[in-house]
Amino acid sequence: MAINEYINGNGVFGGKEGLQEGSARWKDYLVLACRIFLAAVFIYAAFQKADKPLMFADEIRMYRVIGIGPLLYIMAIVLPWVEIICSLSLLTGIFMRGSAFTFIVMNAIFIAVVIYRTFDIMNGEGTPFMDVYFDCGCGFGATYAWKKILEDIVFMLSAMIIYFAPSYRFTLGRRN
Amino acid sequence: MERIRYGIIQAIILTVISFVTAFTFNAFSENGINPFRKMNGVPVLDGFQTEEVEGIRIVGIDEFRSLLDGGGIVLDSRTAEDYDQGHVPGAILFDYFEFGSYLDTVTPYLSFDEEFAIYCTGPYCDDSELLARELFTLGYRKITVFRGGLEGWLEAGLPLETGMHY
Repeated sequence: MAINEYINGNGVFGGKEGLQEGSARWKDYLVLACRIFLAAVFIYAAFQKADKPLMFADEIRMYRVIGIGPLLYIMAIVLPWVEIICSLSLLTGIFMRGSAFTFIVMNAIFIAVVIYRTFDIMNGEGTPFMDVYFDCGCGFGATYAWKKILEDIVFMLSAMIIYFAPSYRFTLGRRN
Repeated sequence: MERIRYGIIQAIILTVISFVTAFTFNAFSENGINPFRKMNGVPVLDGFQTEEVEGIRIVGIDEFRSLLDGGGIVLDSRTAEDYDQGHVPGAILFDYFEFGSYLDTVTPYLSFDEEFAIYCTGPYCDDSELLARELFTLGYRKITVFRGGLEGWLEAGLPLETGMHY
């Protein structure tokens, strides 16, 4: 595919399906709300950790999935910026589908590791599921694990709405 | 299928942009780190070695106190907020999470030839050991970590100092 076609056609701004005619529909407002909600949450979260890679690395390490080493530190450096760049993408509408896809994958991984750590704490300390309480390293401080899992499910559903019901109103890709 | 393909292509482009931005920011940030530094190769000695080995020594309250009594420098690896609420008298704040920000202000107090100690919250926190590893990679070889941390200090009935001193 020619790069020009990619930029102006199906690629960046979503293509024909995104070029709706007429006034905005409820779906457009729903997608806009999801975009602003996700972007606000993840930009706030990312700014808590973007300039403190050692703190974020410590929080990732607590999941006992990745030990001390280059992979851990690269994740601590890059992950907050993936959140910032993808949030900006959602706000502007440029590469919106890609950022929604990234948020779906990221939140699926977050949910999996939070569940993994929750069971780790339940088995290690004998804490009941509803009482498991820890700092997930998400940028919002310590909270109950079940709340965090629910939050991540809401984030993932919001990203899914953006991804599967693409509306390109209120984006830089729209002319009307 | 096309929707998935474009989603993946765009996600890859966004990830590449994120990598470039992140490493550029990391290179210019005070708290930036080298992800490839050798943190795992640092020897940590628990006091049971029979031969002289260079590395980070883990000590208990008695050795920690004798180091303090001998005028040794002590670093508090917790946050400024924790330090303000109470710390070992004479300890210098060196928040591990803001390693780069504190490095320049604290290194004038440190010497490559003189032993200094580091502590954190308690026996289960490892920020003191991680800070020791970071300093070891910079060439400091006489580093002691007080395993008990501030909890161990309080358990021994020793006094705290409050407020910001360094």
